[in-house]
Amino acid sequence: MTYSPTPPKPPLFSVRNLRLSFPDHAHKPLFGAAPRIEVLKGLDLDIPEGRITGIVGESGSGKSTFGRVLVRLLEPDTGEVLFDGQDISTLDENALRPLRRNLQMIFQDPMSSLNPRHKVWRIIAQPMKRYKCGGTREDAVNALEKVGLPADFADRYPHELSGGQRQRVGIARAIALQPRFILADEIVSGLDVSSQAQVLSLLQNLAREMGLTIAFISHDLSVIRHLCDEVIVLNHGEIVDCGPVEEVFSNPQSDITKSLLSAIPRPEIDESWFN
Amino acid sequence: MTTQPHEKTLEIRQLNATLPNGMRLLRDVSLTLEPGEVRALVGESGAGKSMIGRAVLGILPSAVVHSSGDILLEGQSLNALRPKTRRSTVAKMSALIPQDPLTALNPVRKIGPQITDPLVRIHRWSRDRALKRALELLERVHIRNPERVINSYPHELSGGMRQRILIAAAFAPSPRLIVADEPTTALDVTVQKQILQLIRELQRETGTAVLFVTHDMGVVAKISQKVTVLFAGRVLEDAPTEAIFNDATHPYTRGLIAATPTPNATAEPFRPVPQDLIAQLQRDTQAEDMRFYQGGRK
Repeated sequence: MTYSPTPPKPPLFSVRNLRLSFPDHAHKPLFGAAPRIEVLKGLDLDIPEGRITGIVGESGSGKSTFGRVLVRLLEPDTGEVLFDGQDISTLDENALRPLRRNLQMIFQDPMSSLNPRHKVWRIIAQPMKRYKCGGTREDAVNALEKVGLPADFADRYPHELSGGQRQRVGIARAIALQPRFILADEIVSGLDVSSQAQVLSLLQNLAREMGLTIAFISHDLSVIRHLCDEVIVLNHGEIVDCGPVEEVFSNPQSDITKSLLSAIPRPEIDESWFN
Repeated sequence: MTTQPHEKTLEIRQLNATLPNGMRLLRDVSLTLEPGEVRALVGESGAGKSMIGRAVLGILPSAVVHSSGDILLEGQSLNALRPKTRRSTVAKMSALIPQDPLTALNPVRKIGPQITDPLVRIHRWSRDRALKRALELLERVHIRNPERVINSYPHELSGGMRQRILIAAAFAPSPRLIVADEPTTALDVTVQKQILQLIRELQRETGTAVLFVTHDMGVVAKISQKVTVLFAGRVLEDAPTEAIFNDATHPYTRGLIAATPTPNATAEPFRPVPQDLIAQLQRDTQAEDMRFYQGGRK
């Protein structure tokens, strides 16, 4: 018998010819339908399981819209979104319900995504109860410990926490459900560098330990470089670069990626940067 | 307004700001800014960097009950002025570039009057002259169609455009001092680079001094000549930018630089400022507060 390496895992998400448009009400004629703006113009890509995939682009490139299609907060016009082999692109809310637990999200602004009237433990426990996978105070405390917050944070309110701590609670809420997929949309852009580094190293360790599949949306290529395994660069709803992080960074194919890379202000004196 | 600029555009002497509960926001902050100089104020959130900018402009939150120390604009002590004169002096000499271009612009007014109003009301320019200047500045900040833009409302423009408009508005009266409060934090890297470039160009042209509030050490390295590093309202280090990046004396400054991510491959990617260093700094700050309250105010 010959030795065969373990076959590569099939991708968790397979996206084929994904298109999405929004009505443009600014240019709506008095009668008749508003013209549509194409936001995603036929995306084809795979998101591998157990890895962190970065999604970058300038604002308006469609990166958040794409993320929202993955967790099915938006329904695409056409195209397939295969999640674990099942096309979820046209499922209705009832059919999606059993999948929701596996499609979690961490938001950009923890202040508006954590209920200000609930204590931290309730914020974490409520979805667990909803999906019948625990939901006691103890479960919440366990999740808190995983994100490096002591047990006494369970009884605090979101406004009593710092930005970095709030974002940890957001992470705890997502991982407590043990989802197959987490979408992290600009989760560190509101934090200052030091708490940013803390939250990112936490996320990286959790991803390694728990084998999480994460899509990490960011406009910051430096962060993507260190956190992600794969990267997709979007521009005006099209993929302009994709592949393993090392490759894309050392040999960017598109001008967009190059200009994004060169626009990063590095913490070193460099008079020629502006030219 | 073509008088010889004073040798120090801004001088802050031992500025203190306190909340009613006794919490100190600024602790004996002193700094100077020369004409045509860009000074970066850096620190983590809560370090008091925006607070300094607001104190200079006289727009501290009303909850800040007590502040001691003095601020001198072009050698003129603001403490010595009556509130009304103080407001008009500050308004004539300085301007603010705010962080969030959407909340800073009035959503129900067109762009044009939002730029020209201060020129007419504070600087007593004629409407025509103000309008001409507004168009000139909009062109300077690379807005392609200034005539159309002054008749637009803020929601019709992109974030980068709005930020450029605020830069144009700030530079329009050629102020001596501009406080830029994290003007690029809400923007993409590519737009950020354009905006930084603009601020640099205009500032060099007009000789305006800029107090640049930011938490991004990368931005600091590119835009500033001097740096003030703040922690809990205290100045930890004050040095030329080159010295800060080539050999910072304070470990906290080095920590901030190390925490800034770069697109280069590194063995240990995420390096937050060490917790024990922060704890040490907090202990120092508390000890200083004890002395401050026991010794009474100076």
